[in-house]
Parts: sequence; C-alpha cells; structure tokens
Amino acid sequence: MSVGAGASFRSGAVGQVAFRRIERGVLGAAGVAGLVLLWQAAASLSGVPRYFFPSPRDVAGAFTVLLEKGILPAYLADSAGRYLAGIGLGTAIGLALGLALGVSRRAASMFGPLLNFFYAIVEVAWIPIFVIWWGYGLRTILVALVYVVAFPVLFNTQAAVRATPRVLIDAVRALGASPRQVLGEVIFPAALPGIITGFRVGAGFAFRGLIFAEMIAAKNGIGYLILTSAANHATDRTIAGMIVVGTVWLVIDQLYLRPFERVTVERWGVLRHAEE
Amino acid sequence: MAALPAEAGAGSVAASKITIRGLSIDYVSEDGRARHRALEDLSLEVRENEFLSVVGPSGCGKSTLIAAIAGFLRPRSGSLLLDGKPIGGPGADRGVVFQEYALLPWRTVLDNVTLGLRLRGMPRSERDRIGRQFLEMINLVEAADKYPHQLSGGMKQRVAVARTLANQPEVMLMDEPFAAVDAQSRMTLQEELVRIWSQSRLTVLFVTHSVEEAVFLGDRVAVLTPGPGRLKAMIDIDIPRRQRRWAELGNNLLFATLRQRVLDLVRGAGTPP
Ligand SMILES: Nc1ncnc2c1ncn2[C@@H]1O[C@H](COP(=O)(O)OP(=O)(O)O)[C@@H](O)[C@H]1O
Ligand SMILES: [Mg+2]
Repeated sequence: MSVGAGASFRSGAVGQVAFRRIERGVLGAAGVAGLVLLWQAAASLSGVPRYFFPSPRDVAGAFTVLLEKGILPAYLADSAGRYLAGIGLGTAIGLALGLALGVSRRAASMFGPLLNFFYAIVEVAWIPIFVIWWGYGLRTILVALVYVVAFPVLFNTQAAVRATPRVLIDAVRALGASPRQVLGEVIFPAALPGIITGFRVGAGFAFRGLIFAEMIAAKNGIGYLILTSAANHATDRTIAGMIVVGTVWLVIDQLYLRPFERVTVERWGVLRHAEE
Repeated sequence: MAALPAEAGAGSVAASKITIRGLSIDYVSEDGRARHRALEDLSLEVRENEFLSVVGPSGCGKSTLIAAIAGFLRPRSGSLLLDGKPIGGPGADRGVVFQEYALLPWRTVLDNVTLGLRLRGMPRSERDRIGRQFLEMINLVEAADKYPHQLSGGMKQRVAVARTLANQPEVMLMDEPFAAVDAQSRMTLQEELVRIWSQSRLTVLFVTHSVEEAVFLGDRVAVLTPGPGRLKAMIDIDIPRRQRRWAELGNNLLFATLRQRVLDLVRGAGTPP
C-alpha cells in the first residue's frame, strides 16, 4: 500500500522535475555567458599584456590551434588512458579491501587504524617518494591515482557491507548458501549503492589528482600542457587546458556518474525501503 | 534431563525429529562484558511430521530458539539434535521463514522462490519449472516477474514460504511469519499453511506470540515462560486437520477451551497439566 502511494507521488512530480531541469540549464548557461563577458571586458579594458591576462578570444584562438595541430586530442587521450587505468585499478583494490574489511571484524580491527593513517597522508605528499622509486612517468602517476581512488571506495564499501540486513544473510544461509554465495547473492548487491557512491567520490579525487600528477611527473597530458604552457608564457594555452579540465569533469559527472548513481541508489533504496 | 511430565508422557509416541536438551543461550555484548540470557535450560522435542506451535510473550526467546535450531547461533550449553545428530550450522535441511519476509529486493518473485535451487546449481529451465509449481501452490503465478516491493505483506510472506518449500527442507522453522500481515490475510494464510502442510511430509516449528494462532495451527502447543525462556507446558490440540478452518473453528467448543487454557498458561494464571 505504501508502495502504491509512493509511486503515484513520483509520477505526479515528473512534470515539475522536467521543468526544473530546463530552468536550471538556462540559468547555468546564463551564468557562464555572464562570466565570459565580464572576463572579455576586463581583459580589453585593463590593457595588461596578453601573456599576463589573456582574453576569452585569445583562449579560443589557442584552443583552435591546439585542436588543429592535434596536440589537444593527443594529450586528452594520454590523460584519459591514465585516468581510466587509475580508477579501474583503484576501484578494484578498494572494493576487494572494503569487502574483506566489511565482512571480517578481525580484519577491520587489524587494518582499520593503519588505513586511516595512510588515508590522512594525501597522495601529494607521496609523490616525491614515488618519483624517487619510479621516476617521472606513468607508474608514478598510476600509483598516485590508485591511492586516491582506493580509499573512498574502500570506506564506502566497508560501511555498506556492514549495513547489509542480517536477516537477508540468514535467509540465504538457511537455503544452503556457502560463504562465497552469501557474498555474491546478498552482500555485494546490498552494498552496491554504497560502492557506487564511493566510486563517484574516488573518481572525483582521481580527476584532480591526475592533473596535479601530470604537472609533476609527465611529459604529456593535459596537466603537462597547463604547466609547460605557462612556463613558456603561452598563458592562453594554459587557460584553454584548465577549461578543458573543468568541462571534461562536468561531462563525466553529469552524463555518467550522477545518473548511474541516482539510478542504482534510488532503485535499491526504494526496494530496500519496501522490504523493511 | 530436565524433562517435564507432559513431555515424558508424549515424547515416546512418534520419532523425534528435533531434540533439544537443557538448552541455554546467552547474548554477549561486543566488548564481552554484558551477558543476557535469552533461553535457559530449555528441553523440547519436535516429532517427525508434526506441526508444533511455540507460544510465549515477546522477549521470551522464541526467535533465539529458531536461530539456534537454524544453526545461526551457538548454544552456551545443552544439546540440539536433528535426527539424533548435533546441529553444527545452517543447512538446507532446515528452512526458515522470517517475520520480515527476507526476500531479496533485487530479484523477481520467481528468482526468489528458486533461490535455493540456484544455489545448488540447478539449471534455469528446470528450477523455473519447479518455481512455477510452487507459485501455483500459493496462487501467485501472475506475480512471477514482479519485484518484492510490488507485493503486499501477505503476498510477500507467501513467496517466502514458497521459497522455503521449493528448497525441500525436512523442517520448516517459522518465526512469527504472519505477525506483520493484516488480520484478513493472516487468517487466509493460516488456512493455506494448514492445507500445504497436510499435503507434505514436513515437520514444522511455528513460533508466535498469538495464542489463537498457535492453537489453530498446532498439533501441540509448547508454552514458554517469560524470558529467559523455559518450557512451561505442552498442550495437545486434538482437533482434526480438516476442521482447521476459521469458519468451522469459530464456534468449536474444544478450540475455545484449549485456547483459554493456553491463554491462562501464557498469562501465568494456569498451572501446567
Ligand atoms: N542480538 C541480541 N543481542 C542482545 N540481546 C538480544 C539479542 N537478540 C535478542 N536479545 C534478547 O534476548 C531475549 C530474547 O529475544 P528473542 O529471542 O528475540 O525473543 P522473542 O522472539 O520471543 O520476542 C530478549 O530479552 C531480547 O532482548
Ligand atoms: Mg521474535
């Protein structure tokens, strides 16, 4: 009965939600346009040298050149490869550790304090040592990314595993499930919304970490572009790179991560709620 | 050991499916300091193919008893035997139906019903065929592809019963399965349960705080003391299975008498027979 009421509430709200989304899009675009105009006016009126404070027009020019020369696509591909490898590996490690620590109290007691200790040391603090161990290059960047992704995935997974309703585990055990089947049939699906939340947080951390790591330890990629362009007084390229970073994240987050999280968390949430 | 007179008289009639002797169970807090005794020196026999109701006030340890027989909990002392062999842990020979239904929210009704068969590696076509038979038994064939949250409480509990039966246990342990269901559906479910069980060779241990339900369903009714639970009395319910319908029992004198007797025992007024 409560389910029916919830469903009708939902369908009634759909029209409003669509309207709000359009309204939000228009307002967001207006905000961007306003900022660009303000920037152009400031750059034209201030009269400072281009390399010191490039205008939007300069940046757009730099962007076109970077595209035409193929630099931007190549660097984007470099960054994307590192990013995907880093979050893939980091998620796998965080997930495995999170499941283990969520299931076993003993493992949690043994490794919990240690993990918290390492979590407090930001990846930035590790990079000098990573560079000594592995030099400037892919390995250092990858390890740094894995480091930042693994923690949020681990902690969220662990908490979600802990929150699995006891009665579901008992029910499946009484049907003859082995420990591994309990994990696959109950604990993993029940923890999935938490795992996805952790993944989204980790993907965000890794994206920022990637640009930073590329500024220190790479000879290509968007982070490298931002750093070297500024060093060569090609400030318009630096800003073009920064805009690419912000835009790419916006696209990843809005088009992939948020809808993905919303769908699973909501669907599971409704189901869980109805089940209890 | 601490056998009560009622038990000593009745225990030898049929083979014992589950034998519980001197069972004590403690809940220990995480730091190990606080201890709470949920069951104390409980002795009880469940006979082969009988329907045993266990009734007692809430908090007397009924769920603890179910969890112990299911193998989720370890006794502090005493013994728990199934067919004369000690119970070491959970197993498919003992199915459990929980008050909270405990269906997997991310699986369809049919997949929930066939869960035990899947765990054993039975191929999909075969287990779906069996699953549909059990859905037919509980009149829910049309709900096969729905998800649990789309069902009412009564329907969910029928699915949970079907899931347990499809797994073909020897014993079905039921922990206040109809307590969260509305009154009309509950009566229907109780009648359906009698019908299903009469057609099977199952041994059922049914735990409830409702005296009426315990007497309506049980071959015998075990009354527990308030916590920590011990066996207070065992009452035989000599009402034939085909008469176990609410329309018939509503003004059945024997039913009314037995119900009153059990009620007095639960409330502490009566003395064990
Ligand atoms: N996990 C637990 N930890 C501590 N005490 C518990 C736990 N589960 C039950 N108890 C206590 O044990 C006693 C028996 O509980 P339970 O078996 O659930 O009773 P019933 O099912 O008859 O209501 C109660 O006093 C209850 O508070
Ligand atoms: Mg209970």
